[in-house]
Amino acid sequence: MTNRIKVERAILNLTQEDLANRISVSRQTINAMEANKYVPSTVLALKIARVFNKPVEQIFFLEDED
Amino acid sequence: MNQKLLLPNRFKMIGWTILIPATIAGIILTTTGYEAEWLNAKVLTLFYDEMGIFSDVMIDKFGPFGMIEANITNTLVGVVFLIGGLMVAFSKENHEDEFIANLRLSSLLWSVWVNYILLLIAFLLVYGLAFLHIMIYNMFTILIIFIIRFNYILYKSTKSMADDK
Repeated sequence: MTNRIKVERAILNLTQEDLANRISVSRQTINAMEANKYVPSTVLALKIARVFNKPVEQIFFLEDED
Repeated sequence: MNQKLLLPNRFKMIGWTILIPATIAGIILTTTGYEAEWLNAKVLTLFYDEMGIFSDVMIDKFGPFGMIEANITNTLVGVVFLIGGLMVAFSKENHEDEFIANLRLSSLLWSVWVNYILLLIAFLLVYGLAFLHIMIYNMFTILIIFIIRFNYILYKSTKSMADDK
């Protein structure tokens, strides 16, 4: 799975820290997701979507191997 | 996320201050075989045996439950090490979340694998008294390997975070 968290974050002018605080996770988690090293839980994906005010499908994308 | 089986974060620091001296003491004890005279004590045991390994244990018979004379140097260091190790390994991080929980679980899996692969190699290649030493160390290695692996991965992810704002 891939995502455009970094892009969405840039649009809202949020740092990794800001986003981490808003969804109450560590900065490592945001960083790992942006590096595609961690696939978030559904709960976390929905929280991220809520911050960006977009449906999850516009933030997270399945890849061929998924 | 609800992490019921983790200790509060403050235990991590307490754990380190216990674990480090206990590790040093443990290494000294296993290499020198030192036993402190003043740590001879009468202790409760679940099972006592006249063929006891510890030569300085005074035993008149064998059976379940009893009071025996024993040197508790190793007992004390081992217990302190385990308590410290468990605190370090299973305390919450500053910001415990699902990613950290994931790291924790994968590190635990990794450490069990590595521990038993090492033990398997030792089983095949080490015999006699040397194997007894391996068994003594093996009581603690899962915890040690887990702590090293988990903290290394956490350090690596914190470091990559510093590079990438």
